Amino acid sequence: MKKLRLYYEEHNKGPFKLLWKHFSQQHFAFFGFIMLLLLLSLAVLTPFLTPHDPYLQNSQLLLVPPSWQNSGLVSYPLGTDDLGRDLMSRLMAGASYTFGLAVLAVLGSLLVGVILGALSGMSKGVKSSVFNHLLDLALTIPSLLLAIVIVAVLGPGLMNTIWAIMLALLPQFVHGVRNAIQQQLKQDYVTAYRLDGASQRQLLLFVIFPNIWEQLVLMFTMALSTAVLDIAALGFLSIGAQSPTAEWGSMIADSLDSIYLAPWTVALPGLMIFITVLAVNLVGDGIRVAMKKRREN
Amino acid sequence: MMFHYLLRRMFLLSFVFVALTVFAFSLGYLFPGDVLGNFTGLRNISPAEEIVLRQQLGLDESYWQQYIYFNQRIIDGNWALSFSSQQNVLDEIINVMPATLELASYALLISLVVGIPLGIVAAVRKDKWLDKLISGFALVGYSIPIFWWALLLIMVFSLTLGWLPTSGRLSVLYEIPTFSGFMLPDILLSNVPYSEEALFDAIRHLLLPSLVLATYPTTVMIRFTRESMLDVLEQNYIKTARAKGLTRLQVLYTHGLRNALLPVTRQVGLQFSTLITLAMITEVIFSWPGIGRWLIDSIYQRNFPAIQGGVLVVSSLVIAVNMFTEILHTLLNPLARKF
Repeated sequence: MKKLRLYYEEHNKGPFKLLWKHFSQQHFAFFGFIMLLLLLSLAVLTPFLTPHDPYLQNSQLLLVPPSWQNSGLVSYPLGTDDLGRDLMSRLMAGASYTFGLAVLAVLGSLLVGVILGALSGMSKGVKSSVFNHLLDLALTIPSLLLAIVIVAVLGPGLMNTIWAIMLALLPQFVHGVRNAIQQQLKQDYVTAYRLDGASQRQLLLFVIFPNIWEQLVLMFTMALSTAVLDIAALGFLSIGAQSPTAEWGSMIADSLDSIYLAPWTVALPGLMIFITVLAVNLVGDGIRVAMKKRREN
Repeated sequence: MMFHYLLRRMFLLSFVFVALTVFAFSLGYLFPGDVLGNFTGLRNISPAEEIVLRQQLGLDESYWQQYIYFNQRIIDGNWALSFSSQQNVLDEIINVMPATLELASYALLISLVVGIPLGIVAAVRKDKWLDKLISGFALVGYSIPIFWWALLLIMVFSLTLGWLPTSGRLSVLYEIPTFSGFMLPDILLSNVPYSEEALFDAIRHLLLPSLVLATYPTTVMIRFTRESMLDVLEQNYIKTARAKGLTRLQVLYTHGLRNALLPVTRQVGLQFSTLITLAMITEVIFSWPGIGRWLIDSIYQRNFPAIQGGVLVVSSLVIAVNMFTEILHTLLNPLARKF
């Protein structure tokens, strides 16, 4: 733990550049980052990219194996499912459901979490203590249980599970933002700004937020992997996305009957979920390591 | 001082239980369908019965009064009937709960026995190939969707190799009288002549589900122990201990482990909630007759009284376990005591 930091260079890199430098030096994390960018563009552009209509059923081509097997077809690179739908197109369309909706859900939840966290972080006393204890306990309720309750009330469906996931993620965001803000409030430069006459609002916007946004990104990645896994799990249990939807979890559930005949229809959607979550976790770990390295140097 | 702390925790706990019962009570109104049906679990209520039941539940009185009646029924064990079986929901939960607890406790045991040593080894050999191997394995296990992992294992060990069964707790060949609802102790306690074969069979049934369920907590435990250990190894007192001339192993044992494993005790409590969530999915895949499968089935059957009761019991259990480990952590760790 060095107390003093000496700057020998004439031009010193900003904190963001330093973070990026430490991040991009980690190959796996960088690879995960590129995978995420690819998935994100896939999620946005999927209607223009799919080679076939993901919902078009073709009774002539049921359970065609992937093209690397002898009986496979080149125009169906990953084969077809039990209704003759092109698996590759469905997997691509699934990116916008499982991954794209997870991103949106986490963003929405993060936004609300930042607002509530800022409100509770800047306040003191009994009110904030009660709020904090309540959050601690809300954090312990399993997210799937919450989703089950919400689905029972609103009925099954993809959008309802998105609400459920947003609600389930909210406590951890409020908690995280609150702790981050309270940590910042102890810093000397915050006191300096206060002595300069900065209002609470100015303090929050110009001093605290620029210093905690990296932690927000970290929270975002952690929540994103949970959200992807939860959407897929609920789809798999037929509580979330319903049958024809090309959501990866529900695709696995649909293909369970043909697991003997066509193992690829179960293996490939799962592989996509796995790759997505792995990429998100690689990036999250990478940011954490980069932040640690930057602090040490 | 400790007493004061416990008192405050108990106050918080009772406050949470009040909040939880309010939530469960309001579900009776929030669920689609008839309020009377949701609270009693009865179907096809005749007009004459309806008048009596409305009187009993106090449905014409204030919400506050209804909530008090609801709590009385909860405490008396006079819970609503399940829509599908027309049995008391509490009895059903007591029937299915041990299966889940048994599965979850074996998974938790695996995660502790495997996860903590691996995490320590990874931290000690930081950035060496062993650490990279363990961390890589942990990251993969951390990212794998549990239902897919379960299906892969079923494909390999049950469908292709045929070594392990895919569903249930015990082959139908064996009949074991129920004492505790936990399968392995029940078999050991029973006096049936085939208890040895039954035990072997039960373990074979248990192997895949507990392995699947243990994967995620194990990797979390590896990552958490590694981080915690690395934090401790950077501290100045470790340097001091090394400078005093203690060997690496001595430092690790006397100064490292004690400090690094303290936060891990707390992690066990936090893991419980994740375990219950994952157990639900695991139970559905392996047809394990536990509370998770029971709850998911209740969703499919729109069995609202069962969902209400299940949510109440599972949340209470999770919160109680959390509170217990929190208190345990405070007892063990002087630094966490803020009386």
